[in-house]
Amino acid sequence: MRGSTLALALAVPAEAAATLALPGTVAGAVDAVLGGNATAPGLLLGVVLLGGAAAGALAAAAGPGCAADATVALRSRLLRHVLAVGPAPHGLPSGDLTSRLVGSAADAGGAFPARLGALTALLTSLGAVVGLGVLSPWLAPAFFAGVLPGIVLIRLFLQQAGQVFTRYQEAQSELAARLTGALGGLRSIHAAGAEEREAARVLGPLPELSAAGHALWSTQRRTVWQATLLVAVVELAVLGTAGWQVADGVLPPGALAAAAGWAALGVGFFEQVEALAGVAHARSGLLRVAEALAVPAPSPGCRLLPDGPGELVFREVVVRDGGNVLLGPLDLTVPGGRTVALVGRSGSGKSLLAALAGRLRAPDAGYVLVDGVRVDELTVPELRRAVGFAFERPVLVGATVTESLEGAGPAEARAAYADGFLARLPDGYRTPPAELRLSGGELQRLGLARLLAQQPRVMILDDATSSLDLATEHHVTQALADSTRGRTRLIVAHRAQAAARADLVAWLDAGRLRALAPHAELLAEPDYRAALVGTAAAQEYR
Amino acid sequence: MGRHRESPDTPGWTLLRQQLDSTRTPLIRVLSWSAVEALPALLSGLLISAAVDQGFLAHRPGVGCLWLAALGAAAAVRAYAARAAFPHVAAVVEPLRDALVVRVVRGALARPEADPAAVARLTEQVESARQLTATLLRTLRGVGVTLVAALLGLALLAPVALLLVLPPLLAGGLLFVRLLGPLVARQRAVVLADEQVSAETGLAFAGLRDISACGSQQRVGDAVAATIHVQGKAVRSLGRAAALRSLSVALGGRLPVLAVVVAAPWLVHRHWLTVGQVLGVAAYLLQQLEPAVRTLAGMVGGWVLELTVVLDRLAAIPPTTPAPDRPAQPASGPAVRVTGLHHAHGPAAQPVLSGFDLELTAGEHLAVVGASGVGKSTLAALLAGLLAPQQGEVSIGGVRPHELHGPLRARQLALVPQEAYVFAGTVRSNLTWLDPEVGEQRLTEVVALLGAAELVARLGGPDGVIRDPATLSAGEGQLIALVRTYLSPAPVVVLDEATCHLDGAAEERVEEAFAARPGTLVVIAHRIGSALRADRVLLLDSGRGIIARHGDLQVLSPLYRELVGHWLGSTAQAAPQIPQPATPSAERRREPEDAVGASVRPRS
Repeated sequence: MRGSTLALALAVPAEAAATLALPGTVAGAVDAVLGGNATAPGLLLGVVLLGGAAAGALAAAAGPGCAADATVALRSRLLRHVLAVGPAPHGLPSGDLTSRLVGSAADAGGAFPARLGALTALLTSLGAVVGLGVLSPWLAPAFFAGVLPGIVLIRLFLQQAGQVFTRYQEAQSELAARLTGALGGLRSIHAAGAEEREAARVLGPLPELSAAGHALWSTQRRTVWQATLLVAVVELAVLGTAGWQVADGVLPPGALAAAAGWAALGVGFFEQVEALAGVAHARSGLLRVAEALAVPAPSPGCRLLPDGPGELVFREVVVRDGGNVLLGPLDLTVPGGRTVALVGRSGSGKSLLAALAGRLRAPDAGYVLVDGVRVDELTVPELRRAVGFAFERPVLVGATVTESLEGAGPAEARAAYADGFLARLPDGYRTPPAELRLSGGELQRLGLARLLAQQPRVMILDDATSSLDLATEHHVTQALADSTRGRTRLIVAHRAQAAARADLVAWLDAGRLRALAPHAELLAEPDYRAALVGTAAAQEYR
Repeated sequence: MGRHRESPDTPGWTLLRQQLDSTRTPLIRVLSWSAVEALPALLSGLLISAAVDQGFLAHRPGVGCLWLAALGAAAAVRAYAARAAFPHVAAVVEPLRDALVVRVVRGALARPEADPAAVARLTEQVESARQLTATLLRTLRGVGVTLVAALLGLALLAPVALLLVLPPLLAGGLLFVRLLGPLVARQRAVVLADEQVSAETGLAFAGLRDISACGSQQRVGDAVAATIHVQGKAVRSLGRAAALRSLSVALGGRLPVLAVVVAAPWLVHRHWLTVGQVLGVAAYLLQQLEPAVRTLAGMVGGWVLELTVVLDRLAAIPPTTPAPDRPAQPASGPAVRVTGLHHAHGPAAQPVLSGFDLELTAGEHLAVVGASGVGKSTLAALLAGLLAPQQGEVSIGGVRPHELHGPLRARQLALVPQEAYVFAGTVRSNLTWLDPEVGEQRLTEVVALLGAAELVARLGGPDGVIRDPATLSAGEGQLIALVRTYLSPAPVVVLDEATCHLDGAAEERVEEAFAARPGTLVVIAHRIGSALRADRVLLLDSGRGIIARHGDLQVLSPLYRELVGHWLGSTAQAAPQIPQPATPSAERRREPEDAVGASVRPRS
């Protein structure tokens, strides 16, 4: 247990005890005033007040401290775990994972303070009622006579407000949906000068939102005035009962102060609905974090790469999705230093096979070898020296361009034909990737630069030049060919030119290897031509 | 905003004040009812003291209960006032929310680039501003009034007690104000740290595949973990400031109780206070003053700051002012004229266009080609007046497009971007978006001309309703945008890769139709076909451009030759010999001027 947790565990009950003791202590002090000697009760009151204040201050510091410790621990664990799991095929979507780390972990981190707080508050209310009962057996029934209708009132409110609130939220999400749509067509809207017209369209549900908002207020209005009256009635019933007993001489006058104080603390029970909501929040947060942590992370291997040309071998690999076989069983060898193009219609398993090579996905059966070593037995850094990727839509992760390019500098950027537009950025390589506003083609070139910096034995280009216009693609492939000479390359290809440049084409069809041969030999097959862009067009202009 | 000040002069509070100005009447009513609501707070001590002295301690419990009943009546008045205040709270808060929603929506649509945070702003931040304002209106003013009423009641009941109460209360208040600065700063730090954690985690998790592929789990993990720790540190530091705050609250709220109790025997002995008065004072202090001080401190330290932060965010949206509405000058001069145009994305950046000239006559058809990122879309935006030229001049039909009011500008030039805008509504309202006057017959003609008849029929005809635009494919969306543009009255049309999701045949059909449409056509080309069909081709390269006929450009520019060769795939070597296909539209066109003479000369 960390220091702040211990401090909180001590401070919260101490503060509650002081709060609970206060009415009784004040009563004792008042009665002592009548006796003329208030030194001892005054001292006691001083201890209760100051002790309570000190415990309150400690709790105020320890509560956030404790929650922060727990949140940081949970977040760090979840972060490392998610990174270790990597792009799990059936894992949670990234936005969901982010909300679990940001929101759920914070909710869960507050679990201990929330539970302690709710429990203590509940016990305080209970203690106050017990205090009333001890003071006089008549006071507790007087209290409950008022509290029970209060519970009915709150239930009623929650029901009514729930319906109106749903209506409010529906209007709100309709507005949000319309705004999202308009933002997607923002350039068209600007070009048409239709900003005001479209604002009016987006704002269409606003009157409904406003009406629902007013309805919410009138629901709240009913409950609030009834509750206000009820609390006053409870307090006055208790006070009156106590007063009667003071008049009878059963209770000392100070008891009035005690009764008033404890009645107020007891009524505070109504406010505990919020504290309980906090506990429920924390629990659902914990569940959501635990769910994400339950996804198993692949265990990293411990082997290193032997010297070798970078031969890539798929041995009997199978990938399934539930009962469906998505890929395989499939055997394929990419000889070291050679280029193999993966060709096939969409859904034929090209990207899946490419992902297997670098262990971005684990096969359900079979294995992948680089220079004779299974990729799942390599250490993480060694795996990246073995196999690197460039993607159709690379994601740049890092605070600056330099960082997110994994060490790629101007040389790699030039080789990937990316130095031109990087120079056009206001801050060049120091620009945060989020501010780049790049076209798909520019992003792909940065992805290639990143791959070049990694210098792996086997390079996987998964549709990595698809967004380049043809002139740029031509330059980039030329440059790539120069700077990756001698490396093994597996290229997911859609265009005929890319397939033509490869040493061999692995033609995939419905998850199976249909043929492994040079492009020129396969070109005779109509099915093969249909799987490529550019063959038809090229023939048309011939 | 001042360095450490919770002052009402932040942009957010200025915004709030402006909005509240228009709802002054209900605001005053809310405040008036607050005064009524404070009645029990004012009377509680007085009535309890009377109940004790004249009733319970005088052995007349009936009288005591009467006094308590009077307190009950005061509570009933309070309940009534709370009930009466609600509609006025709603009348302040709901218009505030409406105004903020309008502001966010207008602001989001006025920004040059779509801001994905705008939707969160619309739902979360506006809602949070509404709720916080309501809470402050309902609770803060209530607590403030309670505090004043309790002190007033205290002064009426036992002025001498005031001497014991005020010094610690003021001291606590002063301490609290002193502590507010650091508290505000730390809370702000927590908000910023939260956002940082959210942003970095979001990016890292969106890039899981890339992180795995690059083996950068360690680097990214370390960076994000560091941010997570910074956030934790900020929260702990805020907690420590809150602890000090709670001490100041104890000083202001609890020390008076102790002072009164310690002095009470002496005061009662001197007959300056009766027992009932001591109980009344205790009631004021314990039931009114202390809770009020605590709530006040909590709210000023928490909610007011939160509201400040949220309002500052919303105030950061620039207010939308309608563009200066200059009347269109009588159209004179060529359809498109660009002289000395210069544009760079940033002051230090290499310009994407530099010293750029272009002139197109009415009815001409130009294709723009060049590598990705070379500035084709920037040129389109400049032509459409979406960007103001940094240097040089753009004129469309003799007027500067960026100076025109939006709808007027759209009547001069229609720009169709790559991402089509289709909104939920009828097919007709989507198709006639740029010209609501279009007749039924013309609509049917154009739909058929562009090959959209099948799509429109599938959507239920012109009066069919598109409920969720996301269900349309990208190509279908483009087709709708193209029909709409064809129907627009604008004499100049710019297609900025607006056909990229159509198949080759559909693209050709659309471009042929647009070429035959009266008026000038500029096509930012995605495929070679667009260049082959155009009268002239503009090749953009490194901020400069060459303009010529397709055939001439192949002779003039090695880059263009290479580009065409590459476009044609395996026929690369044969490319320069490809004759310019005679398209029907090309023959109708005015023969372009001397290819070289019309070229775009760099000025640098």
